[in-house]
Amino acid sequence: MAKTNKNYLSGKEIREIAKENKKVMKRLEAEKYRKADESEYITQLKNSNNILEIDNLHTYFFTEQGVVKAVNGVSFDVPTNATVGVVGESGCGKSVTSMSVMRLLQGPTGQIYSGEIRFKSKDKNGAEKIYDIAKMPIADIHKIRGNQIAMIFQEPMTSLNPVFTIGQQLDEVTFIHNPEASKEDAKNKSIEMLNLVGIAMPERVYNSFPHELSGGMRQRVMISMALASDPRLIIADEPTTALDVTIQAQILDLLRDLKDKIDGSIMLITHDLGIIAEMADYVVVMYAGKVIEKGTVDEIFHSPMHPYTIGLQKSKPTLNSDSDTLYNIPGNVPNPINMPAHCYFKERCNKCTAKCSGEYPNMIQVSPTHFVACHLYDEEQKNG
Amino acid sequence: MEEITKNEVMEDTAETEEVPHEKTVRLMSPTRMVVRRFFRSKLSIIGLIMVVSLFLFSFVGPLVYTEWGEIELDESGKTEYSISETTYTVNGEEYTVRQTTEKTLKDNFLAPPSKEHILGTDNEGYDIFVRLMYGGRISLIVSFIAVFLITILGVILGGIAGFFGGAIDNIIMRLCDILICLPGVPILLIISTILDASGIDAKYRIYLLMIYLTFISWPGTARLVRGQILSLREQEYMVAAEAMGYSTSRKIFKHLVPNVMPQLIVQMSLSLGSMILYEATLSYLNLGVKAPYAAWGTMINIISTNQDILQNHLNVWVPAGICIVIAVLGFNFIGDGLRDALDPKARR
Amino acid sequence: MAEEKTTQQFDPEAILEVRNLRKCFPIKKTFTGKVKQELIAVDNVSFKLKAGETLGIVGESGCGKTTLGRTILKLHESNGGQIIFEGKDITNLKSSEMREIRKKMQIIFQDPYSSLPPRSTVGGILSEPVEVHNIVPKSQVKDYVLDLMDKCGLRDYYYERYPHEFSGGQRQRICIARALSVNPKLVICDEPVSALDVSIQAQIINLLKKLQQDMNLTYLFISHDLSVVKFISDKIGVMYLGSMVEFGTKEDIFANPLHPYTEALFSAIPQPDPDIKMNRIILKGDIPSPANPPKGCRFHTRCPKAIAGLCDEVTPEYRDFGNGHCAACHLLNKD
Repeated sequence: MAKTNKNYLSGKEIREIAKENKKVMKRLEAEKYRKADESEYITQLKNSNNILEIDNLHTYFFTEQGVVKAVNGVSFDVPTNATVGVVGESGCGKSVTSMSVMRLLQGPTGQIYSGEIRFKSKDKNGAEKIYDIAKMPIADIHKIRGNQIAMIFQEPMTSLNPVFTIGQQLDEVTFIHNPEASKEDAKNKSIEMLNLVGIAMPERVYNSFPHELSGGMRQRVMISMALASDPRLIIADEPTTALDVTIQAQILDLLRDLKDKIDGSIMLITHDLGIIAEMADYVVVMYAGKVIEKGTVDEIFHSPMHPYTIGLQKSKPTLNSDSDTLYNIPGNVPNPINMPAHCYFKERCNKCTAKCSGEYPNMIQVSPTHFVACHLYDEEQKNG
Repeated sequence: MEEITKNEVMEDTAETEEVPHEKTVRLMSPTRMVVRRFFRSKLSIIGLIMVVSLFLFSFVGPLVYTEWGEIELDESGKTEYSISETTYTVNGEEYTVRQTTEKTLKDNFLAPPSKEHILGTDNEGYDIFVRLMYGGRISLIVSFIAVFLITILGVILGGIAGFFGGAIDNIIMRLCDILICLPGVPILLIISTILDASGIDAKYRIYLLMIYLTFISWPGTARLVRGQILSLREQEYMVAAEAMGYSTSRKIFKHLVPNVMPQLIVQMSLSLGSMILYEATLSYLNLGVKAPYAAWGTMINIISTNQDILQNHLNVWVPAGICIVIAVLGFNFIGDGLRDALDPKARR
Repeated sequence: MAEEKTTQQFDPEAILEVRNLRKCFPIKKTFTGKVKQELIAVDNVSFKLKAGETLGIVGESGCGKTTLGRTILKLHESNGGQIIFEGKDITNLKSSEMREIRKKMQIIFQDPYSSLPPRSTVGGILSEPVEVHNIVPKSQVKDYVLDLMDKCGLRDYYYERYPHEFSGGQRQRICIARALSVNPKLVICDEPVSALDVSIQAQIINLLKKLQQDMNLTYLFISHDLSVVKFISDKIGVMYLGSMVEFGTKEDIFANPLHPYTEALFSAIPQPDPDIKMNRIILKGDIPSPANPPKGCRFHTRCPKAIAGLCDEVTPEYRDFGNGHCAACHLLNKD
């Protein structure tokens, strides 16, 4: 025991890790850059009402210190015209999940290792095709990325190119997706988009440079850019984290409004339970690369089942609570390298039983929409 | 760089039942991470091999290969033949008389590579192979001294400028600007002439010139250090050090300078290459090491004395050129490798 | 005259008193170094803080709350007003005189990643201030540090490790331990939990509360999150664009917010309950640039209740509305 307790890896171990990684990375990279016929990655949805189905997704980072299983068997669906909130602490894999859907992982270290990401795409003629994004070669990804799925990033300060005006950057989106559009058309569309996101003087903003705008304005511009291509799915990755509370309220209000105006789904990624409660229809709670609980927003907030979800809700200070000390979950998020075989939450859990030292718990269905991965509810599955 | 003791881990084994998960996770030690990233690049390995072999060649070589000394002439003698033709005209017919003169000289100069002289001898009769070793000594020692001096001067002045700012910063930085404006080589020529006139021993001239080089080269390092310190000073841990009430010298030498070290090491290895080049240029221009002492630049300079050597005696000057290229490339490869290895942003 | 002032204004109960504090940053200078344009980061802020209490300062980015904290610590030179710490006017102390007082006032930063020196071990980071200020004899330094680490929830084998090996929450514990290593009286917490995850936030807040009781600390707790501030504070000050718009005890502020900005801040926080359908006051527009603040009441550009002709012309007076509950708004003066 004492021997394995050394603080640092030895040179031999490092070389072994590097050798292993190289092998896998080479194979996955080759797969990513292969040429493939469309038929290779066309699949079927499990439920035709969904727009996106993530099925047992594994996204790994092959670092020098070992394999980081950032997303380790994540499955959830995004139904059409719904908002799905993905919530979890930093390092739980929520952003990596969205990056996997967009295929924006930094290669060669970051790779989709296995799993399926099924997306219902619609081409210009309205014909629907189901693509498996995880198996698409990177050269074909432009069919989806940016026009069918758009992304809003966390950092409005760095997501816009500082040397072009807002207008130029917005027009570009139109030109990419509709190369025949005239300059006038593009400008009209851009102004319309700026209007849509509630920018008061769209003409003026159209001609300004990013640095002339405040953070809230930039995030509005980012949202309008995402909307400019009429996406069917918008992935918002912590869209308000970098903003002040009063500006955040504005942006959330805008997103809620837009959801009714546009015909599409939103996948909202955030660490803030308050935002999820307000915005989402369905909630996915992630911890250490796994989904530990998922259900409708009412189920998650009114009858949370996983000790982590319960703890998370109790530990958030609210304006209405009056108690003197905050509930807190002890310990820290485990290091993502060399995860234990048992439940990842075991060491921080206050309801842990003997069973928890065993296998990682399976997903247990407790209602048609509510799933939880915890040994506490093993009984319920047997009974029901 | 950082020794990690494992004592307290051993002591802890009493409570092994509850080994927290985080404790079983092992990371790479910072030193190993740097070493690993350095050796990941093939170029830096090549650079390291180049530099190490040059060092062995120049410093260990003369101890092993003792056939000839640096200023030992091969006096085994050499026969030189000269042919002269005289044309006479007798009764309208031309007669040519060819006369061969045999002349025996004391020194065996411009000998081709042979068993006795691995790379032959030069126009004076010195062994080229041996002089390459001694030339390497001079070049490497001189560049190390110069870089060392540049770094010390640069860190002190750049550190002062960056830390205190204001008027001091202004004065030091304007001084840098002026020094960078100075045309280095012309001034060098003047100084060299003065040194010639004052009759300073040829052996020490190069060191004086290196001090001059230091004097005009420190602004580069000073600017780097100042820039680093300006950005580090804004880091919150420096604000924390201020709030702790640490003294100024503690803040500079315990908190700032160690954090500038990575950039400084990179800068040093890169400027080692350029110093070697500078030294070679000086020697080539006859401003640095003077005959009979060897330096790579002086050895190339031989071609200017005789056109014939440039064309027909490649063994005299090409090896010295190769040595310079190897040294400069080697230091640059190492510098680049270190930059990638020490840059925290490259950490994946 | 200056001496006379210090003796007369000392409030024996207050550990810290700030009077009309002002801090400007030059943004444009002429060639000769004369200041052309200024950014007024902290404008005329006054408050008193009793020993053992916690004052929460709330505001959005650019409201000057961080500058206020650092100016009190004299990490920035103030441009007016007074800072009185333990009955001593420290506003104009030289940095050498300040060094002694430094160990009584400490700061915890927002970003636990950049606030720890990357090349020292945890042990080195924590023992350095103890050695510099001679808190305990040299031979006892290590025991003292280990004891401190235990208090802050750090395991003893962290002593030889480097900061980059830790997560945000553990790093923040190290920062807290460093601040407390010199036995300070006043700790300025500059957004200590905003960079942390919810479950870790709760740990750190509870730790800060526990340490306050154990070591009799006074906190100046700066945050943008009202719900966090509510948890830890006894008194709350709300700042907007450099000035204090409302100040009072926690109970007063929450039960009876006087300033429209405070109300808007309350309603802007998303609540983790899908049933609370909010009656949001959504403020229009952006926070004006502090380099070019609006005339009159600084909040009038975004205020839903602004009175034209009054709020955009006259700066409202900062008044006490009883029980130390102060606010600056024209609406309050009407009746």
